[in-house]
Amino acid sequence: MRALVFLALAAPACAEPTIPTFTDETASAGLSTVYEGEWEYMVGGGVATFDCSGDGLPEVFLSGGAAPSALYLNRSPVGGALAFEKTDAVTLDAVLGAYPLDIDSDGILDLVVLRLGENKLLRGLGQCRFEEANEAWGFDGGDAWSSAFAAIWEKGQTWPTLAIGNYIDRKEEAFPWGSCTDNWLHRPEGNKFGAPIPLTPSFCALSMLFTDWNRSGNPSLRVSNDREYYKAGQEQMWHLDPGAAPRLYTEKEDGWKRLRIWGMGIAAADVNLDGYPDYYLTSMADNKLQVLKDAASGKPDYADIAFKSGITAHKPYTGGDINPSTAWHPQFADVNNDGVLDLFVAKGNVAKMPDFAAQDPNNLMLGVGDGTFVEAGDRAGVASMRIARGAQVVDLNLDGLLDLVVVNRWTSAEVWRQTGEATGGWLQVRLAQPEANRDAIGAVIEIKRGVVVERHEIASGGGHVSGSVGWLHFGLGAATAAEMRVIWPGGAEGSWMTLPAGGFYILRPGQDAEAWTPG
Amino acid sequence: MQFRRRQVLGFTLAAPVALAFRPGFAAPRADVSREVLLTWHKLILELVRHTATYMPPVAARGFGYIGVTAHEALATGKPALRSLAGQLTDLTPLPARGEGEFDEPCVLHAALETAVKELFANTGPTGQRAMQKMSEMMGKTASKDIASDVVERSVAHGRAVAEHILAWARVDGGAVVENMGFPRDYTPGTRPQDWVPTSLVRMQQAPLLPDWGKNRPFVMPDTASLDAPPPPDYDEALDSAFYGFAKEVYDTGKSLTDEQKLIARFWSDDAMLTPTPAGHWISIVMQIADRDALPVEMISSTLAKLGCAQSDAFVSCWSTKFKYNLLRPVTYIKKHIDKAWEPLLITPPFPEYTSGHSCQSGAASTVLTSMFGEDFAFDDATHEDEGLPVRSFPSFTAAAEEAAMSRLYGGIHYRFGNEQGLTQGRAIGALAAQLRTEA
Repeated sequence: MRALVFLALAAPACAEPTIPTFTDETASAGLSTVYEGEWEYMVGGGVATFDCSGDGLPEVFLSGGAAPSALYLNRSPVGGALAFEKTDAVTLDAVLGAYPLDIDSDGILDLVVLRLGENKLLRGLGQCRFEEANEAWGFDGGDAWSSAFAAIWEKGQTWPTLAIGNYIDRKEEAFPWGSCTDNWLHRPEGNKFGAPIPLTPSFCALSMLFTDWNRSGNPSLRVSNDREYYKAGQEQMWHLDPGAAPRLYTEKEDGWKRLRIWGMGIAAADVNLDGYPDYYLTSMADNKLQVLKDAASGKPDYADIAFKSGITAHKPYTGGDINPSTAWHPQFADVNNDGVLDLFVAKGNVAKMPDFAAQDPNNLMLGVGDGTFVEAGDRAGVASMRIARGAQVVDLNLDGLLDLVVVNRWTSAEVWRQTGEATGGWLQVRLAQPEANRDAIGAVIEIKRGVVVERHEIASGGGHVSGSVGWLHFGLGAATAAEMRVIWPGGAEGSWMTLPAGGFYILRPGQDAEAWTPG
Repeated sequence: MQFRRRQVLGFTLAAPVALAFRPGFAAPRADVSREVLLTWHKLILELVRHTATYMPPVAARGFGYIGVTAHEALATGKPALRSLAGQLTDLTPLPARGEGEFDEPCVLHAALETAVKELFANTGPTGQRAMQKMSEMMGKTASKDIASDVVERSVAHGRAVAEHILAWARVDGGAVVENMGFPRDYTPGTRPQDWVPTSLVRMQQAPLLPDWGKNRPFVMPDTASLDAPPPPDYDEALDSAFYGFAKEVYDTGKSLTDEQKLIARFWSDDAMLTPTPAGHWISIVMQIADRDALPVEMISSTLAKLGCAQSDAFVSCWSTKFKYNLLRPVTYIKKHIDKAWEPLLITPPFPEYTSGHSCQSGAASTVLTSMFGEDFAFDDATHEDEGLPVRSFPSFTAAAEEAAMSRLYGGIHYRFGNEQGLTQGRAIGALAAQLRTEA
């Protein structure tokens, strides 16, 4: 069936995909934050993008590691050069990453800040002002090396459940291996959080993602773990049944298959168009693309098709460094608007490991349409050799062309604006629910691609300590409109809608799409 | 196969062997030396696991040089010990101690620190941090209450010993490992029995370390003289012997008991997830040293002989592997028996014949039997922190035989690859066992 799907798509898209053009606007855009620090900051370096000013343009929050973090207001003209204004709104030290999330569902985005030390929940006050809300919301920020995050609204809850992944016990100096500290599950108790539930065993998580892997209507928690530090560890997935204690998927009971990688980031997308999410897992050297072998079996048994698909991204493709790569933030997105998902991967040495590439360019692998990808990072202009960590592929100036912001270790973050000619159609949507879970985390957007339906889970989490809430971008290729519908959290199926290309739409349950115009 | 725990018997047999060494310096300083040796090795086992280039043959080489370094550091100050210079290939006499008093723990610590820092120079930031911390900790432990001039003199000598060993090591052919040991250019064989990649990992489309068999050995006069005989003639006929060997792997894999699965995983000793097969045997020695309170000279002598034997076993085995270039069971079985079959263990990315783990286990068990005797029982908790239970063995020979059989259970080797590997390794172990570490 999978092969048939690809054959059906192959006809219009199998030629060399259009190479997008990105212009490096780091020097002029005003993003100056550097992710600083030594051993305790070898992982982390996240970026969060979200609109806190109400103009629709995403602001940018950059972690600074040992240096202060910073929130930048987006002053870019629509379709114009990128411009940001640095604020002192969220100046925190020891920040590894952040995710935007409207925790209290007041319609103003809040910010989850992962730190070396106490994690912070920052309540959005509007106009990009924030206040610390740990105490008010009963949130125990702990004292750990927090390096992963995911959130979901469990059934029947008006507040989210937060999963926080933790790394090594930083007090272990001579023998840190095997010292992974517990991950935490912060479940709500009314309009506050209860005491964190340890997700034992924990294996040094560097990425977490709530995902409805089997379309059961009840998401599970995937955790990607760094094998460098765990003992008896592996990749994990947790059952999260409402009202029940979290429970690990096991080989014996669930058919979970052991995989041990230097797990650093998770990106999910329905790459093979079989209706189930596939997972790209970043690591050192080879990376993985997992597709469900047999959905009917009910078992989370995945095949790795990264090699076959041409996206192992295991070594530098340009620059002459012959050593294996180190991959961090992965993200699927249709950067060239041809209607086929592409994949960006941020790359960079852990520090100065001579067995791995020092000159390790970021990847931009373009989907061809037959299930394979071609590397285009250098031709697109984003093959930076800086030591990258977190990133976001996001439309920063609302022109329908996705842009890119990347956090680097020891050097300034970089930002690229996509400046080439538009070669395909696009549309962007934003989900809006009344009352709880305003941004519909856990929803699924379905879009028809010829004879098949491509499904997109709307998640908070994954990547490498980087996340976004805002406009959801879809490339359309030559299509002049998109057939789309929303499966809202809880399972309510929205009606199929025909949305013209080139526009922004706000989608609400049971209502017609509302067109929105930037500027 | 289930073994009973026989710790008491092991201790009883070990004690006379240990006493024969009669440490020559005051017991407290000997205890400090012992602590220095074992603590550094505890870190080394972690560094092997966490240094990307430390594939099993590379790890064995590292253990060889570190073992020789520790023994030589002690031997330069103790007439009862005999240097391995002149016994190991191309090893010239070590720097002699000058005038004045030397402190053994300080000499030993400085030698190990110097050797480890170079051999693991490529480890990651956490390994670098741990090495630095270990240097500080063991430096303080070794030099506590020792006169500064003695410390200074001892450290300088320890470093000189290590530098001598490292200079010898740099030219053995195995000092530089690139791309985690996988060649960037590789021309596959064209015969039906030739090895083909079995992995979906892009880097592993070429075999690991194809030239490792050309490295200078420690104790073997040459690599060819200890080569294994050719494997059974390749054949795809259903009534052929070769088909029968493959069918045995297939049938075994289809009917594995829980105990067989446990054995396969216990000896899997995967690179970058464990201290590798060689480190597993080093770990066994460390556990016995701890259990039986072996003196430092006994431990260092054992580690030196064991390290040399295991390193040579990998050199010899790799020479054999790339001479015959035999395909793995998974390749044959999928093509001729069952295209859906999967082995229990991940098939290693290099030719099958002979089994590397079997070869080095044969070498290790022969050395250890020569040191500790036949029927020396021991418990092995190497993988306890990985969630695998302690296993008990009545002898080193039994442990090696189980290690070899584990590769059949794991579905990654034919029986003949395991058996010939054991034989090949035992011959190498016998050479290492003849090394004289006492005057």
